[in-house]
Formats: sequence, C-alpha cells, structure tokens
Amino acid sequence: MLKTEELQINIGPQHPSTHGVFRMLVTVDGETITDLKPVFGYLHRNHEQLAEMNTYQQNMPYTDRLDYFNAMANNHAYAIAVEKLVGIEVPERAEYIRVLMVELTRILNHAGALGFLINDMGAWQTQLAFGMREREKILDLFESASGARLMCNYFRFGGVARDLPADFMPRLKDLLLAMPGFVDEMERLLRENEILLQRSEGIGILPQELALAYSVTGPVLRGSGVAYDIRKAEPYSIYDRFDFDVPVGSVGDVYDRILVRIEEMRQSKRIIEQIIEQLPDAQGGYMNPKARQNVRPPVGDVYARVETPKGELGFYLVSDGSTKPYRYKVRAPSFINLTPLGDMCRGYKVADVVVILGSIDIVMGEVDR
Amino acid sequence: MDIPRGNIIVMDRRRGKLRVGQGLIQGLKVVWDHWAGSFHKNENFSQIHGTFTVEYPDERLPLPQTYRNMPVLLYDDESGHELCTGCYQCQRICPPQVIHITQAKDPVTGKMVPAATEFIIEYDACMSCGFCAEVCPFDSIKMDHVYELSTADRVSLTMRKAQLNRPISYYASIAPDLWAEVQAGAMKKLQGSIKRRPDVIGLAAVLTEKIKARRLELAAAAAAAPAAAAPAPAAPAAPAAKLTPEEKAAKLAAMKATNANKGVAAPPAKAPVELSPADAKAAKLAAIKAANAAKQAGAAAPPAEVPAELPPTDAKAAKLAAIKAANAAKKAAEQGNSE
Repeated sequence: MLKTEELQINIGPQHPSTHGVFRMLVTVDGETITDLKPVFGYLHRNHEQLAEMNTYQQNMPYTDRLDYFNAMANNHAYAIAVEKLVGIEVPERAEYIRVLMVELTRILNHAGALGFLINDMGAWQTQLAFGMREREKILDLFESASGARLMCNYFRFGGVARDLPADFMPRLKDLLLAMPGFVDEMERLLRENEILLQRSEGIGILPQELALAYSVTGPVLRGSGVAYDIRKAEPYSIYDRFDFDVPVGSVGDVYDRILVRIEEMRQSKRIIEQIIEQLPDAQGGYMNPKARQNVRPPVGDVYARVETPKGELGFYLVSDGSTKPYRYKVRAPSFINLTPLGDMCRGYKVADVVVILGSIDIVMGEVDR
Repeated sequence: MDIPRGNIIVMDRRRGKLRVGQGLIQGLKVVWDHWAGSFHKNENFSQIHGTFTVEYPDERLPLPQTYRNMPVLLYDDESGHELCTGCYQCQRICPPQVIHITQAKDPVTGKMVPAATEFIIEYDACMSCGFCAEVCPFDSIKMDHVYELSTADRVSLTMRKAQLNRPISYYASIAPDLWAEVQAGAMKKLQGSIKRRPDVIGLAAVLTEKIKARRLELAAAAAAAPAAAAPAPAAPAAPAAKLTPEEKAAKLAAMKATNANKGVAAPPAKAPVELSPADAKAAKLAAIKAANAAKQAGAAAPPAEVPAELPPTDAKAAKLAAIKAANAAKKAAEQGNSE
C-alpha cells in the first residue's frame, strides 16, 4: 500500500458552510479524515459576565441573542428559571401562549435547519427557500404578537409581554392548514432523493453510547435512538397536558436526524392543534398581575431546563439576594452537541464534514456566548 | 422505554416502491410545482404555492401595530408639551445603557422640575427591546415603526431630544389600538400625579381633552374676573410676619370665599393648578408659613377642623391634612417637652 502523509487543513473560521465563525482543524489522510478538532470562541460576546452585571429583568432581551433562530425558546428557559427562583406563578393562558410560541419556534427552526443542511449538501437554495417561506409565515405571527421577528423579547416573569392580537388566531389556523402540505412536500423532496441518500445514509454515525457519553441532546440524541425529550422526561410548563410522540432514529446517521426533524415538525403541529382547542379565553390573563419584573430573588440557586429545538437549554442562576444574578450559566445545546463532532467525522471523507456539521444544527451565537 | 401521553416512533428508513431515479423525479416534481405556482400571487397563509415576496422599495408590507424598532419621544400636538418628566425609569432599565437624560432644573431655586432638558438615545447601540416604552409611567417614550435608518455616519445615530420628538398624533396614527390602550390605562398608571399637576406632569394621553377644556376654562375665568382672582394670591403674600392661629383661620376662610366666588368647586389641593406660576409659588410659601405657625402654636392647631368642612370627594386630601396637622402637633409637643 502506498504510504501517504497526513495533512492539516483549516475549515473556517470564515467559511460559508460553518454556520458562523467556527473553525475546524481537520487532519486528513488523502480524502479521509483522521482527526477533527472543533475550535470555537470567535463569536464570544461575554454573555454570561454581562448578565451578571445586569438585573434579572434586563437579561431577557439578551437571551434572545443566544440562539437567534429560536428566541422564544430561550426566553422560555430563562423565564422558567427566574420564576422558579422567585416563586412566581404563571396564569393558564400565558402558559398556553408560551408553549404555542415555543412549538412554532420548533417548526421554524427545523424548517430552516433542514434547508441549511440541504444547502450545505449543494442543493443551492431549493429546500432552503421552501423552508424559509414557512419560517417567514411564522415570523410574521411572532412580529404581530411580540413586535419583532427574531429578537422577540416576548416573555416576562409571570407571563408574556402582551396578549395575542386579534388577527393572530385566524392566521395561525391558516398556517396550520398549510403545514401538513408543507411537511409532506418536504418529505417527498428529501426522503427518497438518491443524491440526498448518497450524502446522508451511513454518514456521521453517532452511536448511542457515545451520544450519551457526550451528553448530547435534542434531535441529534434522538437520531441516535435514545427517546429522551425533556418535554416527556421532566414535563415543564404544561407539556404534560398534550399528546405527542417522540420520534427516534435507529442508526444515528445524518439521514436519521433529517427524518427525526421532519417528524418533530408534525408532532409540534399536533401540539399546536391541542393548544388551539384548550386555550383559555382572554379573561384568563396573559400576565400575573402580582408578578414584579424587577425581581429580587431570595438567596439560592436554580437550574431550569427546557427542550429547545436544538436540545436541552438550561439556565443555572445563583442569587445573592440582590437584583442581579451572582452567577448566570447557560447550558447551550449547540455547544454540547458540537463536542462529538470529531468522533462523528473520523473515518469519513472531507466533503462529509459540512454535511455532518449541518446535521447537528448549530447556531454560533449559542456556542460562543 | 415508556413515555406518558405518546409513543416512541422509530423512524422508518425503508424505501417506498420507487425504482432507482424515481425519487429524484419525485423531488423535481415538487420544484416544478413551485415554479408553476410562482406565476400567481399568494395572499393566503393556507397556500403553499405562489409568490409571497413583494418588491421592496416599491412595495412594502404593512407593519403590525406592535412592531417596535427604535424609541421616540412624544409631545402634545397643540401645546407642544413634552410628556417626558425625566424620571430616569427608562435610563435605569435600558439593557445596553444607551439612554441619557438631563433633568431640567428651576433656574431660580435650583430644584428639579418634571421635564428633561436633554434626552439622548444612541440609536447605533439600541437593541430595540422595548423595555423603555414598557416601563415609562408617563407613556412618553414609544417604539417607532421607521426601519430605514441606515447611514454612513455613525455619529448621526446619536439622537438628541429635538430629533426624537414626535407628536402624539403620529404615534396614534401608526398604532391606534395601542394608543387607545394607553389612554384607557393612563389614569390607573399615573394614579394621583395627573390629578395633582396635570399641566406640569406628562401624560396628556387620557387628559388631553380634559386639559384643553381646563385651559379654556382658566383663560375664560381669568378674562372674566381678573379682579376677583387678584386678591387670592395677594392675601397670602402680604403678611411676612408669623401668623397667629386666629389670623390663619381667617386667611383660610378668605381663600375659600374667593374659590367659591370663582364658581370652581376646587378643593385646596387643586388650588395651585389654577394659579399662574408666580402665584403658585406665593401660595406654597404661604402654606409653608402656615405649617410653621401651626407647629409653633402647638397641639391645638386649627387645621384639624378644616377637613370636616370639605366635600366627601376630598376625603383623601383631608386625611392627609389631618395627618400632617397631627404630626406637627406631635413635634410641637415634643419640643415643649424637651424645653
């Protein structure tokens, strides 16, 4: 056999397929990857230290900027953490609005994430444009409710910033009419597409044990065949009131992650339909009138976690009794999910790296905080 | 493994009945459908085909009322009265700390006045979170809908008060429902402040009409009876010496009489509002002097009997006066004891 020399190359930090400023230090032997070291920190914004200088209330808009694709889900995690720390109750209607927003977020995230993944594979913009179109409709809804498309800043301690506008529900129902068509169409386009199968089947396998060892969460973990969803394992908010299934993969490759994401969109739609049925009327109140925003929690600490579209997002807050958190730690799913990238890529070709990275679905804002 | 209220679905990886290449063709059909659909415009969320986009600089999508971009300050259309009182609430809450307020001061006394001489917002660092508009107790800071702010000159994005000021009618036109909400909730939000000083303290929102009416009324009153109005401020301003309780009671009676003459059922608490600034000052001075006199006179100060004569609507003001009198009496008694 011919003796070859290993070569180290950099993919990133400025690279269109790295979803931000992310650098992969790849050691290749010919086309085959022998080692990959993820290097991050190029987007460090001092998020946690900044949060310790701000009051609890002031941190809410900063959580939007963690995973800027899913601002609502980040808001939810932070609101739950502070509410747990202070002991604020949330009215029924507010809980339903919150879950509704978070599930819409899940749909738009998966629509976008799959689009970007297919984009990375080389299908320039086709699926991405379709996914972005669905995302756009949801963002319109977010805008009408919260005032902003991406940086929603919609949640408050003890509820949400304002009630749903009058035209929200009819538009949401229209959206749900289109949703099955959109997901089916996406599946028709992707599921048996030979090119996609070539690029994704058996690529980037993350075995179950390894996934658990790396404490990976979200669709990546479920793609590896572990039916772990915080909404089921430790139901927070009002998730114990809804029927929905947890899709899991069997192999743990890129293809499984695609299938899991497609199915999760369907399940989110199911949850939204149940929310529309159960949503209390406007008299329920979207905000706990007794809840103060400038909170001064008692001394103590709290860890609250939610299942964001990317996995487990947790906030660990330590209070010293003042209006500012003494310690503010974010357990970001993108960051943890990125750590096994080296093991996932080893042995595959260098062209698979961007596909595997795309299938993890990272947002650099969350990786480097 | 079992999960509550749902099943675990293991994703089916098997192929359908498609032969090699048919999957691709199926996918192309999807793309084709979209291409064919792109010739008609899609107006409805329930459709997945059709064009959604608009040709931006020529066409614009309507913005929802709740849309927030950058904060602006409001002022009353007619009087030009700025609603901002310089209370620093927005400056304190602003997460990126881009709001800088300079509180107005009375040039003579050097005391703070409820207004802002300068109000700076650094638009270039503003994160559009909308907290400032949310906390503002006077509804003077609101989120604008203008989004075309790009400029090559960063410094020009540091907005001063003159650039931030917008008439109330402008905000009411971009967000009519929200402004109606403000008007409905204004009284509750501000509680006593408006009642006490409607002309000075912000929020013309719910009171725009009322203030306007009041101004007209005052102007009419001033024009109709300048002679009747004159003695009121003159009386308290005259005596520089300390008042005896008897003198004070007499003065109060005189004031009440003038009020009655004017035909305005104004309780004592509202009196300063009707006066011109100079008069208001004089009245305040007189009130302070009266309080001092009461203190010196001791426990049997006459203010205690005044509240009884007031109409029931002023129960609160009366109570306040009673408490004040009691406090003064207590102080006087303490002083007596120590002596």
